[in-house]
This record gives sequence, C-alpha cells and structure tokens, in this order.
Amino acid sequence: MTTISAPRSDPGSNGSRAHAQLERYPIMRELPDDGTLTTQLLAPLWTSHPAWKWLFMASGALSLWFLFAMGVTFARGIGAWGNNIPVAWAYAITDFVWWIGIGHAGTFISAFLLLLHQRWRASINRLAEAMTLFALVNASLFPILHLGRPWFFYWLVPYPATMGVWPNFKSSLPWDVAAISTYFTVSLLFWYLGLVPDLAAARDRAPGRTRRRVYGVFALGWHGSGTEWRHYRVAYTLLAGLATPLVVSVHSIVSLDFAIAQLPGWHSTIFPPYFVVGAIYSGFAMVLMLVLPVRHVFRLHNVITRRHLDHIALLLLVTGSLLAYSYLCEAFGAWYSGDLFERYTMLTARTRGPYAVFFWIMTAVNVLTPQLFWWTRLRTNVVVLFVVGVMIWIGMWLERFVIIVASLNRDFLPSSWHLYAPTWVDWSLLAGSIGLFSFLFLAFLRWVPFVPVSEVKREQREIAFESAYVDRDGAMPEVTR
Amino acid sequence: MSRRVEQPEVNLEFPPGAADPPEWVSRRDFLTLLGAGAAMAAGACMRRPDKPILPYVEAPADVVPGMPLYYATAMPLDGYATGVLVRSNTGRPTKIEGNPDHPASLGASGALEQASLLELYDPHRAEAMRVGRRRATWDAFAAAFAPAALSRRVGARGAGLRVLMPPTTSPLTASLLGRLGEAYPDARTHFFAPLASSARIAAARTSLGAALVPQYDFRAADVVVALDADILATGPFHLRYAREWADRRRASPSAQLHVAEPTPSPTGTLAARRLGATWSAVAAIATALVDAVHRDARSTGRVSGTTDASGGALTPDARAWVAAVAADLAAHAGHSIVVCGERQPSDVHVLTNALNDALGNVGTTVWYTPPAVLNDGGPDHDLSALATELRTGGVDTLVILDGNPCYGAPSDIELSRVVGAVHNTVYLGAYDDETARVSTWHLPAAHYLESWGDARAYDGTTSVIQPLIAPLHGGRTADEVLAVLAGQPNNSTHDLLRDAWNSARGQGAPTTESDWSEALRRGVVAGSAFARATPAVRGDAVAQARATVAARGVAREQIEIGFVPSHAVHDGRFADNGWLQELPDPVTKLTWDNAALMAPAMASRLGVATNDVVKLQVGDRALDTPVLVVPGHADGAVALAMGYGRQGGEAVARGVGVNANALRTSQAPHVAPSAAVSRTGRSHELALAQTHWAIEGRGSSIVGEDGEAQRSTASSVQPRKRRPLTLYEPKPPSRDGFGADQWAMVIDLDVCTGCSACVVACQAENNIPVVGKDGVMKSREMHWLRIDRYIDGPPDDPRFETQPMLCQHCEKAPCEYVCPVNATVHSEDGLNEMVYNRCVGTRFCSNNCPYKVRRFNWFDYNGEIAETERMAKNPEVTIRARGVMEKCTFCVQRIRDAQMASRLAGDPATGPVVTACQQSCPTQAIVFGSLTDPESEVSRQFGDPRSFSALDELGTVPRVRYLARRREADSSDSSGGRAR
Amino acid sequence: MHITCEVAALFSARATTIARGVIIAGLTLIVLIPAMAMGWVRTPWARGEHHTVVQPIAFDHRIHVTGLRIDCRYCHADAERTASAGLPSTKKCVACHSQTWMSTSVMAPIRRSLETGRPIAWARVTQLPDFVYFDHAIHVGRGVGCETCHGRVDRMATAEQVVPLTMSWCLDCHRNPGPRLRPLTEITTMGYTHSPSDTSGVRLVGQGDRIRRLTDCTACHR
Repeated sequence: MTTISAPRSDPGSNGSRAHAQLERYPIMRELPDDGTLTTQLLAPLWTSHPAWKWLFMASGALSLWFLFAMGVTFARGIGAWGNNIPVAWAYAITDFVWWIGIGHAGTFISAFLLLLHQRWRASINRLAEAMTLFALVNASLFPILHLGRPWFFYWLVPYPATMGVWPNFKSSLPWDVAAISTYFTVSLLFWYLGLVPDLAAARDRAPGRTRRRVYGVFALGWHGSGTEWRHYRVAYTLLAGLATPLVVSVHSIVSLDFAIAQLPGWHSTIFPPYFVVGAIYSGFAMVLMLVLPVRHVFRLHNVITRRHLDHIALLLLVTGSLLAYSYLCEAFGAWYSGDLFERYTMLTARTRGPYAVFFWIMTAVNVLTPQLFWWTRLRTNVVVLFVVGVMIWIGMWLERFVIIVASLNRDFLPSSWHLYAPTWVDWSLLAGSIGLFSFLFLAFLRWVPFVPVSEVKREQREIAFESAYVDRDGAMPEVTR
Repeated sequence: MSRRVEQPEVNLEFPPGAADPPEWVSRRDFLTLLGAGAAMAAGACMRRPDKPILPYVEAPADVVPGMPLYYATAMPLDGYATGVLVRSNTGRPTKIEGNPDHPASLGASGALEQASLLELYDPHRAEAMRVGRRRATWDAFAAAFAPAALSRRVGARGAGLRVLMPPTTSPLTASLLGRLGEAYPDARTHFFAPLASSARIAAARTSLGAALVPQYDFRAADVVVALDADILATGPFHLRYAREWADRRRASPSAQLHVAEPTPSPTGTLAARRLGATWSAVAAIATALVDAVHRDARSTGRVSGTTDASGGALTPDARAWVAAVAADLAAHAGHSIVVCGERQPSDVHVLTNALNDALGNVGTTVWYTPPAVLNDGGPDHDLSALATELRTGGVDTLVILDGNPCYGAPSDIELSRVVGAVHNTVYLGAYDDETARVSTWHLPAAHYLESWGDARAYDGTTSVIQPLIAPLHGGRTADEVLAVLAGQPNNSTHDLLRDAWNSARGQGAPTTESDWSEALRRGVVAGSAFARATPAVRGDAVAQARATVAARGVAREQIEIGFVPSHAVHDGRFADNGWLQELPDPVTKLTWDNAALMAPAMASRLGVATNDVVKLQVGDRALDTPVLVVPGHADGAVALAMGYGRQGGEAVARGVGVNANALRTSQAPHVAPSAAVSRTGRSHELALAQTHWAIEGRGSSIVGEDGEAQRSTASSVQPRKRRPLTLYEPKPPSRDGFGADQWAMVIDLDVCTGCSACVVACQAENNIPVVGKDGVMKSREMHWLRIDRYIDGPPDDPRFETQPMLCQHCEKAPCEYVCPVNATVHSEDGLNEMVYNRCVGTRFCSNNCPYKVRRFNWFDYNGEIAETERMAKNPEVTIRARGVMEKCTFCVQRIRDAQMASRLAGDPATGPVVTACQQSCPTQAIVFGSLTDPESEVSRQFGDPRSFSALDELGTVPRVRYLARRREADSSDSSGGRAR
Repeated sequence: MHITCEVAALFSARATTIARGVIIAGLTLIVLIPAMAMGWVRTPWARGEHHTVVQPIAFDHRIHVTGLRIDCRYCHADAERTASAGLPSTKKCVACHSQTWMSTSVMAPIRRSLETGRPIAWARVTQLPDFVYFDHAIHVGRGVGCETCHGRVDRMATAEQVVPLTMSWCLDCHRNPGPRLRPLTEITTMGYTHSPSDTSGVRLVGQGDRIRRLTDCTACHR
C-alpha cells in the first residue's frame, strides 16, 4: 500500500500558483477525515428522504404504463403507432437514438476523463455511469419494440440457423445489436467494479445484519487489502481503456443507421462525429439535470463543487459549438451538392416545411443556449445550469425527431409525401421510458452508494498531498515509497 | 356531417386494429396487454396446426387440385355485357380477366369487372329468402306467384302486376318478358337505372329518324373530340375505345384528342386540348363547333344552311378552344370523331350527330346500330310514369328485379314511400338494401358468377353467362323469377336459356350443340353483332336543336351540379365492395367518400377549401357535402359522384359519403341547372390517397418531361440520361448462365389513362388487403401498384401527369442492402425478391426506397376477414402476416409457373409471362418480358427514345421504365385550351 | 483485522465457494442455454421426424408398394402434373377394394365415406409451412425420386416423416442437385442406389436449370 508520509496540512493554506488554480474552485472543500466522510456519503443509504417514496411510486406507475403501451404494441401491431409510409420510423427510433445518446456521458466521464487524469470526475462518475446504464436499458428496448415481428429479434444476431441463412452484414442494424450489447456489458462491468469497494464500506457500516449480508454479497468479500487494491486499479484502468473506444464507436454505428441510407437528410458522411458529439452533449445535459438536485438534496456541496459544474458547463459549451458546426456543415453540404432533392430537404423542407417549428426550436436551443457558458458566472449558476440542461435535453430529442421524421415525410416523389402524427401509444412509450429511467435511478439513489466514496477519499488524499508538497515553481518532488 | 359517429360502424368489416381507434382499451384488455408486454420475449411458437388432407370422394372429370381452370363468361353492367375469363381454383373463382374474343373487352378488364369477384364473396350479401319478417323458401314463392295463385290477386289479365327492373340486353329476359306478356296482357314492365339516359336515343329519333346508338372506330380517327364524355374510362364500351385510341396513338402520334368537360376525367387528362366548361357551356360549344365546322368546311365545298355563330355565350378560352378544335376537325374531315356524353341533353346529341355527319365521319369512323338495351329510350324507361301509377293505387303486386331503385330513384319520386305502400312487393336483390327494406318479399339475387344467363354487348354481340360456382346463398336470377311469373317455375335457367335460344332461331343464336359449346368456350356468339346503319341527319332537327340550346343559354351566375357515376361504386351497386371503396379516384385520388368537386377559383369565392362542408341546394332540396378542390374543374360547376350515402344493410357502404340522389329530380336527373352552394363552417376529413399534387419542379426526373420546357419544344421527347458511372460494371443480360430470363417492364405514359384497372387486378391477384378509411388517412394503403397523379401549372388549365408507380425492381436496389435479415434480395433473373417469412419488419427498406412502393402490414389485415372472403384469395400467393413488409413481385408466381412449365416441356426458353396489371390494362400501356430476348417487345421499348427511368440520377437502375408522354407544341395563336 | 471478523460473522466459511460457484454457473448458463437451444432444433424430435401419425384407416404402404407392387403414381396421381401429389379419391380405393377387404372393419371409414359422400380426413405426414411453395411436378419431372424426401415408404407400416424438412436440408439439394437426381425412369423406385457412373442427374441439371437459380428465394417463397 502506498504510504504517503505527508503532514496533514489543511488544503488552501499554501499559496502556490498550482494551488491557487485549485483554490478558485477546489474539487473538494473542507472535507472531514475519512471516517466522517464515509459516514456522510453513505448516510443516504440508511435514511429515506420523505419525498423519495412518492417519487418512487409515481415513476413506478409510469413504468407500468410503459409496460402497458408495449403490450398494446405487441398485441395490436405497429399500427397502434402513428407511423406510416413514407414515415416508417418515427417516435420509437427517435427515443432510441435519444436514450443511446444520453447513455454516452457516463462512460465518457468515467473512462475518458479517468484516462485523462481529470480528478473532478471522481465525485460524479457513479451518478453518470448509473444514468448511462438506465438510459441503455431504455435504448435497447426500443429497437426490439420497433420490429414488426419482435419475437424474431434474434434473427439479427449471427448464429447458425437451421434455415441456413445469416444476417445481412451490409446492413447497419446487425452492427447496432453488436455495438449496443457490447457497450451495455462493458458499462455494467465498469460500473459494478467501481462499486465494489463502496459496497464493502456499506456492508461494514450497514445497520442490521440483513443489510450487511445483502451488501456483503454484492461486495464479493472485499477486504481493501493492498493486493486487492492493486488488482482493482489495474482492472479498472483496463476496463476504462476498453470502454473509451466504445464511447466513439457506438454512436458512430447508430448514426450509420441513417447515413447508409440514400434519403436526403440522412445520406451524409458527417453523421458519425456529428452524432457522437450530439450524444455527449445530451448526456452531459442530463448529468446536470440529475447532479444538481442530488447535490442539493443530499448536501453534497463539499464533494460536488462549483468546479464540477464549471467543467460540465464548459463541456456543454464545447460540444454545443461542435454540434452547431455540424448543423452548418449539413446545410452547406446540401447547398454545395447542388442536388435538387438534398437542397429541398435541408434548405426548404427543414426550414419552411411542416416540421419547421421543431427545427427552429431545436436550432435555437442546441446552438444558442450553451453559448451562455462563455460567462463564468453563468457556468456556476445552479439555476441557469439546470434550466439549460433541461432545454438541451429536450432540444436533442427534437433534433432526432427532425432528422428522422422531417427527412422521411418529404422524400423524392411528391406523390408519396405524407405527414406524421403520433398516437397516444407513441406518447406513452416516450413518457413511459422516462418513467422507467426515473424508477431505476431513484432505486439507485436509495440503495446504492451514488458517490464513489473510496475514489473521493483517494482523490482527496492526492490533492492534499500535492498541495502540501507543491513547491514555489509548482513542480512536484519525488514521492518516496 | 354526422358521419364521424358512424365511422366505427362503417369500419366493422376491417381488421379491428385498422378500424377501432387504439384509444379505447377495455379493463380486461389492460391486463392481457400488460401480460403481452411482459411476455415480449416469449413469442415464437413454431408448432404448426395439423391440417387434415381431404381427397375427393369422387374426383370430378377435369378438376385437378392445384391446376387452375379458366371459363369464359360475361359481366352485365347497366345491361351491357363485358366478356371476361374467370380463373377457378378447385371450384373457387379467384381472378377475373378480360376475354380477348369479346368486343367490349378485347382482353382487358376494368376495375369494376375485376372487383366484382369480391362482390361474389361479400359476407354481407343477403343469405336467406324472406317474406315480411319470416323466412321463406323458393317453393313458397313459386307457389304464391304462379299464375294460378297470382292471377287471383292481379286479375286474369294482370292489370295489377308491374315489373320494375334495370335496363336489360338479355335475349332470354326479353323472351321471358314476352311470355309474361302472354300470361298477363295488362301487366307492364318498367326499366330504371340511376345512370341511364334516353337522350341519345331521343336525339337519334329526331335527327336520324330511328332509335339508334352511335358506334365509333377510334383506330381510324385522327382527331377525337369528346364533349363531356369520358370515353376512355366509363361507359359500356370504354375498354374497347381505350384500346383503339391507344393503338391509334401508337400508330400515328399525331392523332389528337380534344376534350371539353366540366370535371376532369381520365379522358381529359390525356387530351391535347382540354377545356374546363360547365355542362351548359358544353352545349353552347357544340353549337359553336357546328357553325365553325361549317364555316371551315366551306373551303372543302361542304356547305350547310346554318351560319349564325352562337359563340357569343362563350368565354374567350372556350372560343379559342372551339376555333382550334374546329380547324383540327375540318383538317381531318372524314377521319375524326365527335362524341357527346350521356349527361348532355338530346339537343347536344343531335348537334354531335350533325357534326359527324357534316365532317363526313359517318360510314368511316362513325356508324349507327340499334340499341342493345330492350326498348331503349322507350316510354317504359320512364320511372315517374310507374310512380304515378303506384301512387294512384290499382297496382297490387310490384316485382322489382334487382337494381335497388328505392336508393337510386330521383328524390322527387319518393319511390321508397310509394313502393312501401304497395300491398305485395317482391324484391330480388343481392343485399338487404334500401329497396329490400320496403319490400314484402326479399329473394337473394345470384351473382353473375353464380348464374346462367345471356347479355348483349354495346354493339349487340351476344354472350352466354355461365356460372362458375353454385349460388353461395341460394341466390336466384331475374330470369328464374320471370319464369315463375310466366308459369314455368320448374325449368332451370340453363334449360330456359337453351329453349329461348332454340326459339330465337336464325337470329345469330347458336342452335346446334356445337354452336352452343363454342359460344360457351369463346364467351361470345360469333356474328351476333348488329348491322351498321349510316342514316343522314335531318337539317330541321339540327336547326331545332340549335335553337333550343341557344334559348337555354349558358349558365353564368347560377351554379350547375352534375351527378356523375362514381369511378368505384358506379351507381351504388358496388358500394359494399372494399376493393372499390379504397380504389383512389383516377383524377382526385379520393377514397371512401364522394365530395363536391369544384374549381379553385370557385372555392376561393365561396371561401371554402378541401374538407370544408358546404350545403348544396337544388330548389328546396339540400345536401351537406365536403368540398374537394380540383384544379382544371370548370368554374361554376360542381360534380358529385353517385352511389354513396347508402342506408341499407351493406356494412361496408353504410355511412360512406353522401347520397347524391337526394338532389336529383326526375326532370333534371343528370345535371341540376341552377343550384346554390353555401358554407356550413363544419368540416369533414376526406381520405385522399395522395395529399400533394404539385410536382415541385421534379418533372424531368419523375415523369420524364419538364413542364415549362415542353410548351416551347415541338416534341416532349428528351435525350435520356445515361446509366450512372459505377465501379461494378453490370454483366450484360445473356441467354446462358443463370438467369437466362431478365425480367423487365415498360409503361407507356402516352396512353395510360390512369383508369386504375391494374390496381384492382393487382389487388385480386396478390391477395392485397383493404385497410379502411382510417388506414388511408394514415397513408397505410396496401396497393402494390398505385397511380400517381400530378396536377401542375395554372389552376384553371393545369397539366395532368399520370404515372403508375410500382416496385421498380432496381438492379441496384436501395432496399436490399439495408435489410438486416436478408429478407429482400435480388434474384438471378433480375427480380427484387421480398421474402415475407424472413421479414422481421424493421421497415428500413421502405425508408430507403426512393419510390415508396413498399407496403407494411401495420395490423393483421388478413387475419380478421370473413370465411367467404378467404375464398377469394389466390392460393399461389402467400397471405402476409402482421408486421412484415410487402411489395410488387412482378407476379413472381406467374413467372415461376411459366418457367417450371417450360422446363417440364423441355423448352429452353420460358413461355410468355403476363402480369396481372398488364393483363387488365385496356390500353396495353404495360409491357412485360425478358430483356435477354432482343426481339421481345420489352427489349424494343427499353430502347425507345421516349423511354426513361424514374429518378434516374439516383443510380438505382430500375427494371421498370416509362415511355414519356408525347405532348404537342403550344399553338401560341390560341390562348385558351393550351396544348397539354 | 476488524473487517475480516465482520465478514466471518456475516457469512459462513463456504460463502466464497458458493459465490464463485454461482458466478461460474451463471456465466456457463449464458453460453449453454443458446447452445442447447440450437442443438435441440437440430434433433429429430424438434423436427417431428419418425413421429407416428395416426390415420383414420390403418393403411399399410408395405402391402401396397412392396406386396402388390403398386406404383406410387397410381394413388398419388397428380404428382407429375401439379404442385400437390394428391391423395386417392374414395372411389379410387373402392375400385380395387370393392371385392377384397371391403367388409372388414378396417374399411369402415371408406364405407362411411361412400354412404355419406364425405371425404376421408387423412392426417398430414409431410407438412411444409404455407409460405413454402413446393411443387411435386417439377421435382418429379427433374429427377427427384419420391424416396429422396419420403424415404423407404415401402417399408413403412404407417407413413412417417423421415427427413428434417428444414430449410437448410432443402438448400443442400438446391445448391447441388446433380448427385441426388436419378433417371426419370427410376423416380418411384425404392432403394435406388446412385451408381457413380450414372450421370443422368448432372445431365438433368444441365438441361435447363439455367433457366433460373434454385437458390433464389422466390424459387420456393412467393
């Protein structure tokens, strides 16, 4: 075990530049000693917030409604939706892409930022990963739900069938299956691995034998011995390395569901980067929506500081601007191609067509709102952050809707142009998926340590160590082991 | 309009999902559905039900299970026969096709003929004979109406007996009526059909001196002028006319069609010069044409007395049209035809006869024959006479033989009430319809596919009607009922037929056994057509007619309402036919409704738009009707289709559309001269199969001609784009190696009328379900072959584009590479295959199809249909389940059968394959075949300079090509009636 | 120290072993269940092979084929002409049986059928899904023997399915028919052995299989 023979100096007392850096928005503020900190962070597991029960029941009811809407779809057929020819894909696929996109922030935070040594990730990564998982649960439901004959969904998987027929590997849909299932598996493992030490902590502090046993089972008998920690770090980093390319690959592949088609509005080479950026964008928007209330309710201001909010806001600013650039490229490409149909879809139908209002809302929300974050004060203003988060969350759903429906409803032959209107089932599936997400997330908040206790403690140690040892030039001396 | 409420009722006959809105979910549903939701994974139970095999007890002579047989028979419509060949699979009629030997068919079959198959299997047909409320038997009826019994009621001379039936051409019926006359000298027979008009006969009587009807030979015509006449898509001989006109166009592209019509018709959309003119204006135009032609004819030496130009009443556009058309006519005197429509008064028919006479067409392109219809135009064709008789009493027994007159009669006659008052009424009808409900006796009528009989075509050619199946519901024919009345109830119709024909010796009826079997086999009696007559026109009659028309003048302020036959339900006879109700109107694409069609200008004056409900008023009669605004419609005219707003027992028909008969009177049964239209502020959503008519400047890549450009160029033929560059050079079609056939299709837009016969033919051949009005409004029609309609340009005088759109069987199909499960792939012989049993329904293929010709089974459309309807299904085509994609297969079942046959015969080349659409096409606009045979018609037309691929620039390399329409240069001298 | 005794208090000594077992078992199941499913559908039970079908009449093919040397096509007359081979009409049975066996109880259904005019409901032995358009005429006409799909009927007391009838089984032949075909004279022969010298099959293929590829989906699915 690495022993740091450092005098416990109160962070902030030392006035170095590097330290001043951290000083402005420290990653953690006036943290107590490990024991108290652990108690603080695990406290939510033992006591239930009064509002929790009602929220939990509400979201549970909504999830049941989700199940019912699915039942209608399976019993009656896709006809229960508003889909038609030409608009054969609509809400379900919009929801699918939307949830997949949201599911990107988690792994991005935990894997990407881990590899990049972004310490601030520590306090929020568990929340983000949980969000990812629950988003993926929804995302993986919709494609199956969307099939005309869902009971044959396994035909998309390459397996030796007695029919002697294989999936069509030229189509991007079988790639989807592979991409999403891989992503889900890795995210789950990654999340669980990170949990183990905290589960052990929970096991050790749980009041009552039953809880201790339950947490004990999931803690897999974690002792916190040096060996365990060493293996743990290696495994964790490896998984991070494995997950990182997935962040890019999954949504690239999802984007190909559209890009390989020759439909104006889909047929575009910029889709993969465009979709990945959009995904991370929407993901962080939702992280904000989740982190801010949690931080407020559970008084986590000392572990989730303004520093985190500031960074998330900056990420939104960057991804938002990239997205704006993609929008621009799309439109320009259409114009520059000189193609009659491309131009009509991108320049006429989008801006003046039947769904123009959604297009303009989407553009306004996704392009303009993040620009607020050029101002530091807004970056750390909780209210602004939350509002913007919600707006982007909706804006990104609209983006997918516009891409899918507004492209399909007016394609090549004007004779086949037709509008799309969702039915109550379409709405129920959308609302229900949000319900299911909330249900799972609330359960997570209640029974799982949602702030990575061990990591926070580790980061705290390192920060303390650094701030103690940083010399005038901000260089760090050898650590003696 | 309170039809909203009736909607669910209307939809009962459609798959539940399609019909009942998902909005309602019973509490019990809730749990089951919840369960279904939970049990999402557990779906596939692969065990198939064990169906037993039932061999014949005694195998019939020529029936081999799995081998279809074809029989020739004829379908009577408004009395006139159209010859058909009917396919029978082990005793079930499953498909109706044209009879090449029949003059009215020439091998083609219209939408109505095709769809009459579904009528046979209609689950709503009356199934039991009844008297009052009680069930009755045929014997009971025969006993009650045998002369012995009946004469006690109606008197020995039958003074109290009246028979009412639709106009008939049947020699058998004629002879039976004769016998009835012998049995009851004082009994009277009346003929009525809502659409029938005696104007033509009346005109012939006055101007030609005899009851004659005009016959035409379009193959010899260089100029055809149709005055309010949809010659190519409606009428007893329209299949023949369309074919002849198409042949003429193919032979000499300079042949011209000029149309003046109130409401756009398929014929109008093909016109070189089309003029939107109200009904009264058409009459004035006829007069103007007479004058102009005479003036033009002076130079050619043919002069006549009439000189005054009555063109004064006409608009500038109309005058220009008349001038141009008259010049054209005069230039082709002797090789032109002027046709006048049924709805025009007799005077206009007189003028038309005069025109043909003056142009010297009579004898070359036009001649006359006696009418095929019994006593056509006679006094006994006047319903009001009968009505007055019934009102005054004295009629004890009224026998109505089909035709549902109580629905179709003009409202002022109030026939339902009058008939209800008669003590003893017998109705022979297929449905428990409006007439059945006021009749004492109701006898189920046999479908023509269930009955023996005979009928004449428009030119008099006689056909034997032979049954393909025993009556499903014990139906009887009019002849059988007449036989009972005439006192010979025990003879089967077959015997009656033979007797009648033997007695009609020497009138072209077959007498020998061989003649008879030959007539049955060929479907026509050789040489039974009427002799031609070429009488001269009486000048005084013409002058008289001109005077009347001039006196009547042209309606300026008041609005005219014309009552036109529905493209789908005709006069209401086919109202219960789902195929037809869902068949989009050839011009407006309207389904499941009728509407007040009007010009954009008129609509804007009224401040209404499509879907707004207006109140139509004729005198004190009013009718609320949704509006459908149609470019090219004559301003001041409103067209309303008949046959809707049914209140009878036909579940499909009930509540669909409004009843135009409510506005018709016996004085003005076809056109209400002065009507009023006012807005109601209400609205009713119409189900349009196509919601966007403008072509958005994509004409050159879709229909192969760019609107504006054509106007200036002499010919519309453009240099065709070449196949796009590709890395993978396609292997040229060759006779050796796999795929010795390379299937392809060419559709000639120059002769396509958009009549939609192919759409129904495809539906019948390929087991395509009906989705109901809701389905159409959600754009979920299942038609594999649809007719795209583009209406572009100035709203008063637009360009009409017609384009049959079906799977293009692209050599580089966008649908194929996106299917995740290989459910749609390419066959070696160039078919884009759709494998239903492999499809999981991602619908990606449809998204990626630029032609949007793929159809998805949103619900289990085929699961819910009635047992009888199942009998209509073609056993050679898979019944698609819910959740799978489907589309045109080029009738692959026919291709594979042909290939297997040729292989069994040891024939290296595949025999000819005819697709269902191709077979039905009246103009033979559809050509199908293999490209590997350089001699084949399809190969030839692929090379035609007019041939092009739709959306060529996408590089899909379709196997369906179109021949661009030939349009003539804009004769800049005339502003109106621009060349289209 | 403190922690370990906690665990000890919480779980028995075997806890770790059990946990490991559970994890390993779980992982194996994830692999095993699909594997077993794929295996099962390849078994005769899953395909309904050799599953005795109860017929209304105890018709014994052995007697008629082996004993009386009746050609398959006498009863299944349409096999050469149409898609379905067809079953004999009651009259056809009677044609031979009017004298023999007619009075026996075995023949009761035939007598009933004659009296009532109702057909005999034979149970289906070889069943294909409705979306498969199998055509007897073309197969028989191109040298596919009855035996190839129906097995040694001459040895069956009651007819039963003897081939998998899975799509891949059909494809095996459709991909390479040559070796499996026989001279047209041998179609109904039972126990026909392909002599290596016999090239008739290959010739049959050569003669016109070029008209279309047998592996096109629409060869069987329409």
